[in-house]
This record gives sequence, structure tokens and C-alpha cells, in this order.
Amino acid sequence: MKTSPHLNLTRRSLLALAGVGLASTVFPRAMFAQNTAVMVIASGQDIPNFDPHTATGYSASFFMRNVYDPLVRVSGNPPEPVPALAASWEASADGKEYTFKLNPDAKFHSGAPVTADDVVYSFQRALRLAKGNSWMIRDIVTPEGVTAVDAGTVKFTLAVPFAPFLQVLPWIFIVEKAVVEANLGTDDGQTWLLTNTAASGPFTVGRFQPGTLYQLARAETAWQAGGGNLAGVIWQIIHETATQRLMIQRGEAQIAVDLTSEDMDALKDAPGVVRVLEPEYRTFSIKMNTAYGPCSDINMRKAISYATNYQAIIDAAGYAELMTGPLPNGILGFNPDLAVYRMDLDKAKEHLAQTKTPEGGIKLRMVHVSGLEQQRRWALIMLDSLKALNIDLEIMPMNWPDMVAACKSPETFPDLFPVYQTANYGDPDNIAYAAYHSSRNGGWQNAVYHNPEVDALIEAGRSEVDTNKRIEIYHKFQEAVVADAPDIFGVLEKRRLAMRDNVKNYHFTPVASNAIEVFGLSME
Amino acid sequence: MLQFILRRLLMLIPVIIGLTIIMFAIARLLPGDPVGLAAGPNATQAEIAALAAEYGLDQPIWVQYWHYVTGLLHGDLGTSLLTRRPVATDIAAYLPATLELVLAAMAIAIVIGIPLGLVTAVWRNKWPDYLSQIAAIGAISMPRFFLGLLLQLCFAMWLMWLPLGGRLPIIVIPPPTITGFLTIDSLLAGEWSTFTLALRHLALPAIAMSLSPLATIMRMMRSSTIEVMQQDYVMTARALGLAPRLIITKYVARNAVSATLTVIGLYFGWLLGGTVLVETVFDWPGLGLYATKAIVSQDMMPVIGVALVIGLMFVIANLIIDVLYGIINPKVRYS
Repeated sequence: MKTSPHLNLTRRSLLALAGVGLASTVFPRAMFAQNTAVMVIASGQDIPNFDPHTATGYSASFFMRNVYDPLVRVSGNPPEPVPALAASWEASADGKEYTFKLNPDAKFHSGAPVTADDVVYSFQRALRLAKGNSWMIRDIVTPEGVTAVDAGTVKFTLAVPFAPFLQVLPWIFIVEKAVVEANLGTDDGQTWLLTNTAASGPFTVGRFQPGTLYQLARAETAWQAGGGNLAGVIWQIIHETATQRLMIQRGEAQIAVDLTSEDMDALKDAPGVVRVLEPEYRTFSIKMNTAYGPCSDINMRKAISYATNYQAIIDAAGYAELMTGPLPNGILGFNPDLAVYRMDLDKAKEHLAQTKTPEGGIKLRMVHVSGLEQQRRWALIMLDSLKALNIDLEIMPMNWPDMVAACKSPETFPDLFPVYQTANYGDPDNIAYAAYHSSRNGGWQNAVYHNPEVDALIEAGRSEVDTNKRIEIYHKFQEAVVADAPDIFGVLEKRRLAMRDNVKNYHFTPVASNAIEVFGLSME
Repeated sequence: MLQFILRRLLMLIPVIIGLTIIMFAIARLLPGDPVGLAAGPNATQAEIAALAAEYGLDQPIWVQYWHYVTGLLHGDLGTSLLTRRPVATDIAAYLPATLELVLAAMAIAIVIGIPLGLVTAVWRNKWPDYLSQIAAIGAISMPRFFLGLLLQLCFAMWLMWLPLGGRLPIIVIPPPTITGFLTIDSLLAGEWSTFTLALRHLALPAIAMSLSPLATIMRMMRSSTIEVMQQDYVMTARALGLAPRLIITKYVARNAVSATLTVIGLYFGWLLGGTVLVETVFDWPGLGLYATKAIVSQDMMPVIGVALVIGLMFVIANLIIDVLYGIINPKVRYS
């Protein structure tokens, strides 16, 4: 039997482990993790592939954040850009030009230094492939707009001013041009990068078994200063959340990232376990069909908004906060004093009286993701809430691909459509643009809602570089959206993580918090 | 017999064609937008169209089908929309885990089920028979995933005798892949401790998978044994004064097992296609989990690939069963 060269576990000790009898298959994980500072993270999501310009999902984000480097990273709460490959940067007053000075110590796993050419190549490749996270810079960065001033300086001339530019940069990763070019194939290196890397991050790929585990080991060439004491990290695929919880309890995993509210309840007071329950920029709302059917009438939407039992919604949500309008609580520009809809049956009936069906007597259709118990509960709450208006609700569980297909036109879009929306970068533009800009119509994030005034505010918000002015714009945006009532603003579910108490230096960031950046972490 | 085997192998061709046609038709008829889903929520219509073109999904279905079939001849099962990995590579990675699990479950079911069926038939209407019948009904009616959870709770959590899941502890590097079966590969590599660990990990999921076929095989074996015991030649053997044990082992069991073989063949296919719940509970990285993820996302290439592989396995398993008929009962003639 061989053990991983990255684990620093001798053959003898491993044989001893194997021979200690009945518990020998239970405890080795804990022992190895504690003795060699190799952290095990239990997650339900497999890593699709290793290409930083095509892979998506939080498991891919975890991989990229630890194996690759972006120009800047995101850290803190609220999230702020911090240096990564770029040691420093400057922005022009009009927000159209950014100049980044690369850290001269930065080098790839091959030993070659990271140069401005690599940065230019990476951005151009991301734009050329138009997959993965490239949408974040689409129409903002052009292939010609990113240039190498010298070996250590990169200049971006944006197509339009884009205030969240520094917030999206953590998600565009830099590849080593020479390595990718040597393995281009016929698809721009996509096939090669499925299972290989051309990276400069603090960790390299040790070994991997798709569907089972991905082991990262501290890169010998790691140039990043500081960091924790981890020699490696294992992303272990555990599909059942209950099993993730058991692993945390037994010390077989140091962090579990996919726990349910019930799991978190069970872990309360569990010895050696720390629970992390923090609000994240992930909204849950119920979108209404503003373009077709009964909900195209604003009074009907307001009637439904006032009839909704928000207390029941928050009670059913477990660890969560009620939303106050369209933006996540705490994000830049969020207005905590915004006047939003709360349950008021008199007002609901007032608005219903102004519709074509003042006595109700209609049937609406609400879909939810088949098998997603939490959404089913919320659908039942809506069924109960609408009874007060004499409105019947047909609840239809559907597969997610069918729900996505239903978003293509107002005619196929249901009256009520529940949806989670996760901020991919820590700026209000992300949720505002994805969920309310009319250019997104036809997609599941905003299938039908279209308001030119709201569009103009969103566009103003993303191009304004003065923070105070942006806050003002987003206040107006929130008021305009609430006045239109396109959504039933639901809850902000808290991120539910559990970790062993020997994990040190963990700081929560409300963006991609389950794609944990482990470089700074230590284990005692 | 060789002619019979060749003929049956040739029959695989229409099976493959039939399966692919059916799966392609289903893929086309299903509502949903798998390309839009794979492109992500922020993709533009142009990007979705480009992705569809990259995977040939903008072509008419008969063109897609032709490309698929010609690819099949080169061992190409297409590419997953979601992972962007070749389906053949994925199946090659996941199939051995599922096969190992199913074969282990079938081995448990056969090794225990057949002797138990014989015993209960011989002791018909006595307490061992009643006890086995009750246990069999319980085993058949209990859902496998629930049984899996119970086994986990009992043997992994309370007693801590066996691991919660997976194929090996994560600290152990698997032996060099020869068959893909960790138990066999570790033996071939001479790594006894790895073999022991692999066996421990295999135990609970295999038991959870085996109980239902075990009960069915036992009941089938019982009824066919009772039937055979009433045959004239058994009566004659008894009248001639042959030892009861000899009659049972040499004459009854051999004939009774023929009928049970059919059930074993059918169960093999059923288990292959039904591993997903046990694989989920035990985090067993097999074909069931892979196919389920693909089905939920309507990622059709992996779904078609898995259906094809399971279909082929099923046909081959039943061919082996048919050959075994002749070995066990020389009266059987192949035509």
C-alpha cells in the first residue's frame, strides 16, 4: 500500500493504522489530518474540470482560488479587493483605465515568472472562449483593451466605465501562456486544461479521482508571502449532508460546506465543532410574470406582495434574514430603511379591487424545483397566503432544466417562479444587473421583467465611479423596483459552514464563502 | 455452443442501434434547455448558440445520430456538456466501482441465497423455513437506501466497525489500475492491507445491495427445490435408498438451480441500473451517481453512454447465464 507523497505519512505508520482492527478504517483520516496539517473539506460538488476559463460552480471556484492566482483577490466583510498577482494598481479618474503593477516575486509552478504577457493572454483567452466567468468582463474588457506596458505592468482600457471592475477581477485567473500554447491542440488548450494546470497559485494538484477527491499540495514554488501552516488540502466529495455532519463530528473532515439547517441544529454544542452562520449575498425571491397573465397587472402583484405571510417564510427558512428590497442586506448601497411590503390583508384587498378580478376567483401557477423541500414549503405558504384573496395556486414541481426552458418567453413563464440568486462578485451591480436588467430577459435570473427606468439606474450604477453617488443611485434603484413589485422579496439564507475548532485564521467573506481560500488557514 | 455465443454477440448490434435510437429520441422529445443550463445563467443567446454549435447540437437529430454512431465505432461516446470531459473517460472511471459493488452484492446473494433456499425447502414448514420466509419478506420490502442508512448507523457510527463510505480511506493511494476493482487490483499488486481496507469499505454497500436479490434467490431456490423434490427421479432415488444428502446435493440442487439462474441474470441488470441510492448513501463513486447527475441536468451524452453500457452488460450477463444453463444441465441444447 502506498500513501500520498504529499501526506508525509510513513508506510509503517500507515500499516499500523490498517492493522489496528475494527476502527482502522474510521480514524486514519482524523489522525493524518491532525498530524500533517492536511485539511479535509467535505463538499457535495465534484470539480468539473481544471480550466479556469471554462469551469463554473463553487467547487471549481475553490479549485481556482487555491491553484491559480488572479490579479486581485477578495477578502473581508464587506468584501474588498486585496493584492494577489498585482502588488498595486491605479485607476483613472473616469474609471476607464486601470494600471496594475505585478508582484516581481510572482512565478508559475513551472518556475517561470508571471509577466504582463501572461495576463494579457489570459484575459484574451477568457474572452475568446466566452465560457466560465468571462461574462463578468464581457463588453467591459475588449481583447485590444488589455495591453502589456512592460514585463511587470498591465494596462486595461475599458470599453465603458465599470465601477465593480476590481470586484470581478478575483474571478478571472491567469494562466501561463507558454504552457498553454505548448498544449493548444485544436481547442485553445481546453482539452489539455481539463486535467492539467498552468498556474501560479499557492497549491498544486497532488492527485485526483473524479467523483471522489481532489488533493492539493503546497506548491514548492509558492511565492505568496505569509499564509497558514497547511501542507495540503483535500476536497472530498460527500453527497449526503448528514454524512458531512458525521465527518465533522468525528474529526474526519475539518470543514463541511453543504450543511442543512437541521445539520446545523444537530451540531449545536457538538464538542470540537465551530458553526459558521453568516449572512451571504445570496437572495431568495419569488419572481412574478410581469409580462403575461394576471401578474402583468401591477395591482395584482402588489396584492400578492401584501398578502404574503413573510413570517411563515422566514420561519420555514431556518437560519435566514428577511430581505428588505431587491439587494442583499449589507451590500454597498443597500437601504435598510426602505419601505417594503409586509403582510397587510386590507392593503392586499385594496389592490386586488383595482384588478380585472376584484373578487379573486382565479388560479395562478407556481413552479418549484422538484425535490427541493425548502422551495416546496415556500410554495405551500404562498398557497395559504393567496387563499385570503380567494386566489387558488397550482403548485408544479419541475426539473431545473425544464424551469430554465420555461423562462424563454413570457407565455411559458409561470405566474410565480422561486429563485435563488448568488452574487458572484461583491458589488450590488451583480444582483441588480442579473436580476432586473431587461437585457437578461429570457434567462432564469430575469425572465420577463423590463422597466426602462430601472435599466437606466442599473447602467448608471455600474458606470459611476464615485461611491457616494453610487449609493444614491442604488437607493433610487431599490425604490423603483419595490414600486414595481416584480418579486416577492424573500429571505437571505445564512451560509452554513461547520469546522473543527483546530482550524485557525478563518475569516468569513460573504462572496463564494463555500469556495474556501485555504492559503491563510492553519491547523493546530 | 460457439455458434450460439457468436450469434448472441451479433445480436448486440441491433441492441446498440435500438438503444441509441430510443435514447436519442427521448433526448429530443424531452422539454428543457440543457445547452442554456450548461452555458450558465449569464450567457448571451449568441454564447448559447456557439456552445450548441461546438457540441453539434444545432444539427438535425439524424446528423447528430450519425456523428454519434460513427464516433461509437472509434470508442467515442461523446462529451459531457456540463463537465466538458469525454463520456468514455468518465464511464471508464466510474464503471469499475459500480461493477465491483454489484458483483460483490450478487456474490453475497448467491452464496447465501442458494444454500438457504435449499435448506428451507428441505425443512419446509418448519421453524427455519418460517424464519427465513419472514426475513425474506422484510429484506425484499425494505428500501435499499434506508437499509444502507441503518447499516451505516449501526456498524459505522455506533459500533465503529466499518467505515461510513467511499472505496478507500483518503490517505491511501489506490493500487495501479488493472481491472479497476480495488479488491482485485490490490491483490494483484500484493498490497494486502489495501485489500483489507477495500473489502471493509465494500462490505456495507454490498450488503445493502444484496439483501433484496438474496431474498428473491432464496425464495426462487426454495420453490424450485420443492418442485424438483416431487419429481419421479427423486422418488426413485429415495426408493433405491440413496442417502438424503446425496439426493439433495447431486440431483435436486443441480436441477433446481437452473431456474434460479434466470433470476440471477435479471437481478444483475436490475442492480446495475439501480445502484444510485446506495452509491449516494455510501459516497460510492460509481455509474449510478454519474448518470443521476447527468439526468437531472439533461446532459444527454452521459445518459446515453450509461444506458448503452448497462444495456450491453445486461445482455452479456444473460448470455453468460444461458451458457451456464448448458454447463449445469447437459440436457439443455443451444439452437
